[in-house]
Amino acid sequence: MAAMTPFCREIRRNILMASRTSGHGHIPTSFSVVEMLCAAYDTLRHNPQEPQWPERDIFILSKGHAALGLYAVLAQYGYLPAEELKTFGTFQSRLGCHPDRLKVPGVEVSTGSLGHGIGVAVGMALAFRIAKSPRRVVTLIGDGEANEGSVWESMMVAANLKLNNLTVMLDFNRSQVRSLQIPNPADRFKAFCCDTLEVDGHDLEALKAALVKPAETVKAIVAHTIKGCGCPTLANNVFEWHRKSPKPEELEFLMKELEAA
Amino acid sequence: MKDEKVVIVLGDISHFLFMPLQEKFPTRVYNMGICENALISVAAGLGAQGFHPFVHTINPFLTERCVEQIKDDLCYNCFGANIVSTGASFDYAWDGATHHCYGELAILRMLPGMEVTQPGNRKELDTLIRSQYNNGRPTYFRLSDHGHNLDVPVQFGQANLLKDTGSKLTVMTAGPILGNVMEAVRDLPVNLVYFSTIKPIDREMIARFKHTKILVVHDAHGLQEAIHEVPDLSVSYHGLPDRFCVWYGTVHDIRRQIGLDPAGIRQAVQTRLAAIR
Repeated sequence: MAAMTPFCREIRRNILMASRTSGHGHIPTSFSVVEMLCAAYDTLRHNPQEPQWPERDIFILSKGHAALGLYAVLAQYGYLPAEELKTFGTFQSRLGCHPDRLKVPGVEVSTGSLGHGIGVAVGMALAFRIAKSPRRVVTLIGDGEANEGSVWESMMVAANLKLNNLTVMLDFNRSQVRSLQIPNPADRFKAFCCDTLEVDGHDLEALKAALVKPAETVKAIVAHTIKGCGCPTLANNVFEWHRKSPKPEELEFLMKELEAA
Repeated sequence: MKDEKVVIVLGDISHFLFMPLQEKFPTRVYNMGICENALISVAAGLGAQGFHPFVHTINPFLTERCVEQIKDDLCYNCFGANIVSTGASFDYAWDGATHHCYGELAILRMLPGMEVTQPGNRKELDTLIRSQYNNGRPTYFRLSDHGHNLDVPVQFGQANLLKDTGSKLTVMTAGPILGNVMEAVRDLPVNLVYFSTIKPIDREMIARFKHTKILVVHDAHGLQEAIHEVPDLSVSYHGLPDRFCVWYGTVHDIRRQIGLDPAGIRQAVQTRLAAIR
């Protein structure tokens, strides 16, 4: 596995702090997508000073429960003050446990219910094609989310339209080992006629290379990730930590693990 | 299509009908397949980028199956799209209860930001679509191939007062069933109010008849709930039973079976009239 960059470590620190302060947070799933989010924001055309820039590319977090990870990344790229992360999940905060596009700069689609963002992404990619626009769309789905039939409906539509301006990133963190597993996602994407790549989901450079690689049709990137990547305590106890905020002593311990990663 | 922002998204229905349009505008007419959940989400994405999508397929699959996509992807996100169903209430009578659809108007009117129409015939549909299709909001249009043949000058959000006799009984109805209702009450001393929009409901018109007994004659839920946006009404209903209509035949057969043919409606109205005299 690639070494964690200082930038991504800082994002994970902010996730832990925000979860501790707010008492909320899906930390392991947020940790598994940090490099994927950074790779997306490193390769898409966007402008944190002008979130609604008309020429921007679009990123959609279809697995909306990783919102804390998205907020921490958006803060790191300049969309939000990092200090605001501490308000996560509180009554008057802009930062809910699932993202709201009408509140958070940089959030393009309000998600939360699984299997929705990907379909909206297909519609946006089609819109850009109709408009003969060079804009691109990247959406990030989870392996648990891939249990939803609407994910595969959307993939079929995108592949049938050969939407080569759309990339679907799968956070393959094996969260569904507990129920309905998808043991061979790359084979499934290929069977759905996608241009399919497999990468280490914590290797920033490999992810970026996969994202910029031209495709003939809709591109699927299966990112092999670790839930809770960076903190062995999280990675080895994903069910206990699925949706949990660390106590002060736990935070200290997790921070130490993160520094050692 | 004069408006270059219009995009047609078909769920493998009306395909042959739209083929000439598809040949003329290949980038703006798509038969995407039998995948209604995805169709609504795709429409939301198109709407998000400034297009005016029309999503079209059979009623229960487009609406009842897709309530969450309509709620989240359109209403919650404030993305606009036109949802156009075919197969109102018992239009597909012969196909059985899976193809009957009379609950979707009531369901959709509960969604914040949703506009819900129930046009009674093609002319009304034309008026309502031209009025609303490009306003950037999610709007529902319900097609029926059994429209009434009355010429009602409808406007979005406004009810039409078709009979004002000063009666203590006001019949309120919506959509294609108006044909049977009008035939039933033409010579009866009742007021008759017709709705082609369920949301927003014309509260002013309802309030005007607040002092009367109101009888809702309906072949679809939606109007009866919407009417209660005006408080303290005295309302009764005639039409839908609380059970599946497990007969086949035609829409007229089912209407007759549940008392929504002109004779059944007339009897229901006369019963109410007798009670208030």
